[in-house]
Amino acid sequence: MNKATDSNRENYKKAFSVLESSRDFDLEDEKMARLQKNMIVKRLVAAAVICLVVIGGTGTAYAHNVGGIQQIVQMWIHGNQTDVTLDFDGEGGYKMSYTDEDGNISESEGGGIAIEPDGTERPLTEDEIMEDFSDGSNSIDVVVDEETDRITLYYLDQAQDITDEFVDGYYRTTVNIDGQDYYITVAADGAYSVSPDKYEDVYEDD
Amino acid sequence: MKLPVQEIVDKYKNNIYAAAFSICANAGDAEDVVQDTLLQYYMTHTNFDNEEHIRAWLLRVAINKALNIQRSFWHRHKVPLEDYMETLSFETPESRDLFAEVMKLPEKYRAVVHLFYYEDYSIREISQILKTSESNVKVRLSRARAMLKESLKEDWLDE
Repeated sequence: MNKATDSNRENYKKAFSVLESSRDFDLEDEKMARLQKNMIVKRLVAAAVICLVVIGGTGTAYAHNVGGIQQIVQMWIHGNQTDVTLDFDGEGGYKMSYTDEDGNISESEGGGIAIEPDGTERPLTEDEIMEDFSDGSNSIDVVVDEETDRITLYYLDQAQDITDEFVDGYYRTTVNIDGQDYYITVAADGAYSVSPDKYEDVYEDD
Repeated sequence: MKLPVQEIVDKYKNNIYAAAFSICANAGDAEDVVQDTLLQYYMTHTNFDNEEHIRAWLLRVAINKALNIQRSFWHRHKVPLEDYMETLSFETPESRDLFAEVMKLPEKYRAVVHLFYYEDYSIREISQILKTSESNVKVRLSRARAMLKESLKEDWLDE
């Protein structure tokens, strides 16, 4: 290792040593068990988001306004079509809740931002969030299980283990959602690209 | 072997946070990554070879979680990086500039740079943690160095 590397490394560490986690972690078993439950719910809901069902010929999600800023959308959750209630906070965020097959109410929240042409960021509007929910490409996701290293491709109600399907470091497939073909390229680290036109490179330097 | 979670928190909480932040550029998301990573450690039945194995596992899990958050529609509102940086106590203006310029790098470069310069991993070790080829790590590191040299001038040395 040369002196320049040592010097850059020293400066880098000095700069990034200011980053400190400020959250307290309660490590009692009861608390950890509760966190574990919440994480499972979060994952479950995350899977639900990518399983948004798109019905009808207009390409929009089935949703109806139930007053105020609450909407109900129909989604695939673990293979079941389920009514999910979305409450928007008017600042780009929303809370969603649904009743699972065991009758338990699951809740989670999310949100998003939009980047304007001048680079400024603003909260998504309710229409934009709903539009994003209804885009077919958002029915596609790739998840790497950190524990087992298995890689799963999700779309609509489908889940496919693609861990052993890679050729030269990539997995490519096409899925049809709401009449639109989507070309999916997945890299071995789980990064992926989706395009309605062609198999896009995942990394610009590939 | 497996160290107690409290010992992991004491030793590695800030390393996990820094690695996550280097990708998320967002304190809230980085804190979530720390919590999820610690919880994953609490739940895992992995039989670690040694403490170094644990450290690499923690960073790999944290980076995967951070990347998953970045790729997901599900991420919280962003506090502008500049606003967050105002809350940090940099030792020198040069440190602040270095931090800012690193955070301007493409996300996939930041993970490599952070593991190399902050965690002291070799290119081979980084390729194993990120599950990519050594040549890919080299390319990203080389391009990141060139970008930092371009922006930081004499405050970033040619290697």
